[in-house]
Amino acid sequence: MASSVAQKRLFHEYKNLSTNPPEGITAGPVSEDDMFYWEALIQGPEETPFEGGVFAAELKFPRDYPLSPPTMKFIGGGVWHPNVYPNGTVCISILHPPGDDPNHYEHASERWSPIQSVEKILISVMSMLAEPNDESPANVEAAKMWRERRSEYEQKVRDEVKKGLGL
Amino acid sequence: MDQSFELPDSTDWLETPLSLLAPFESSLRCQVCKDFFDNPVITSCSHTFCSLCIRRCLSAEGKCPACRSSDQELKLRRNWAVQELVDAFKLARPSVLDLARRKNVRLARGEEETEEPAQKKRKVQQVEEEELQVPETSSQGRRTRSQRSINSSVVERTVPQIMPEVIEDSQDDEEYMPGDGLVACPICFRKMKEEAVFPHLNVHQQEEELPRKTPTKPASFGSLKGTSQRDLPLPGKQPERLPAINYSILKDNSLRKKLRDLGIPDWGQKQLLQRRHTEWMNLWNANCDSKSPKSKRILLQELDVWERTQGGHAAAPSAFTTSNNVMRKDFDANEWSNNHDDDFKRLIANARKKSEVQVRSTIPGASSSSSPHQEGTGLPVNGARVELNPDTDDHHVVDLSG
Repeated sequence: MASSVAQKRLFHEYKNLSTNPPEGITAGPVSEDDMFYWEALIQGPEETPFEGGVFAAELKFPRDYPLSPPTMKFIGGGVWHPNVYPNGTVCISILHPPGDDPNHYEHASERWSPIQSVEKILISVMSMLAEPNDESPANVEAAKMWRERRSEYEQKVRDEVKKGLGL
Repeated sequence: MDQSFELPDSTDWLETPLSLLAPFESSLRCQVCKDFFDNPVITSCSHTFCSLCIRRCLSAEGKCPACRSSDQELKLRRNWAVQELVDAFKLARPSVLDLARRKNVRLARGEEETEEPAQKKRKVQQVEEEELQVPETSSQGRRTRSQRSINSSVVERTVPQIMPEVIEDSQDDEEYMPGDGLVACPICFRKMKEEAVFPHLNVHQQEEELPRKTPTKPASFGSLKGTSQRDLPLPGKQPERLPAINYSILKDNSLRKKLRDLGIPDWGQKQLLQRRHTEWMNLWNANCDSKSPKSKRILLQELDVWERTQGGHAAAPSAFTTSNNVMRKDFDANEWSNNHDDDFKRLIANARKKSEVQVRSTIPGASSSSSPHQEGTGLPVNGARVELNPDTDDHHVVDLSG
């Protein structure tokens, strides 16, 4: 298959992430035959209930990347968070194209643009884990619990993290 | 695995002694395609991108990808300084990188210690030579920043720490003009006497103001100004820019005819025709920004690549949604987990350590039971926390949450 702009750019990002990875983040294509499908591992940020957890996610890139953003989904479950759908799909502004604002609260400047990158997405997701945005929750139950019963929320997250690690 | 790592990238510098060249190189790369700028153009908001990259962005969204202010294709202007920078850097890159990597090997072997002082001595000598020249050159008005700093250091007679870098700069010059006292024009690189440089630079400035061919690069400048300058007799035919089409007022058939007239494939639904025309217009107009425009045949090949990766011949969207991915994932799972085994283990090990600490700190009583590890046995809770802290990157998390 002819090499497209998207593939080349993804190669660049992959190389950059492998030679110079941000702390607590690992990401790359599952197979180099398909640059459009990546897997990522994210460490739970410290001093949050997610601390100590390692979360695997899949990233799917559209053919016109980087004009359009990828989608990101935690796999294996276990991410109890207001901005993560129960099926694991991540809902944050950087993954939304600037054209549509399904939630009517995001600033255009927070949303996807071709100069964003996988690295920036993953860093944003890490900070999202630390600081949920409950304005337009993807997981209403988790958002409610986070707002009203914070300690219960944190305990549930810690339990999920431990379960995920097999502890 | 290897394939991607053959791609030259700014991170190539990171493991060499010239790691500071990594940010330098990234600033010579387009933020959209991550490649070196190719026919760089500047937007009305003063951001620079490859001509093709920004055209694609603008036709998709009409906004600058860097600052999201609205912009139009017609307002893009070529950024020749950046093109020159990229060309010059690309030329120098392999040898500099090679040198840096070899130096790295020498450093690793510990051979550098004997070489370094000798080299420094030679540099000092060069400074003295420079100093002798300084009075003449400064009076003649060739005032570069490096020269000025040399002047000032001569006056002070103290050699500041930045000295070596400055000297290297002038050493480079010296290499360009081996002893003949000639200086290269920073714009066209033609060699001339020092005193001739300033008058000569004025010539360049005039050329920019009233566009005219430079003596050194007639072909390139001719095509740069190309389409906007009809009074210029041009060698060969100059591609004319394609105008944008308001697709909504065109019927399928008239759009199809337009594509046929342009000599590009005319099959498919209207939406595909529209996308194909936009891509062709972007390819074509970006090519008009080039110093050495490609032939239409090559552009057609590029359109064909687009057709196969994003256009009508691209895999249907369903092919890369769930079903296919699950298959691929299963297929490569073992290989992938082998490749990333270390990462997994490292992250999981870190995680276990931390969660142990957490268990101990949150539930003090659980510390003895939950940690069969050797470190957990004798240490008090606080001691263990302190010991583990070096592994954790506190400032990083602060960054992330900010």
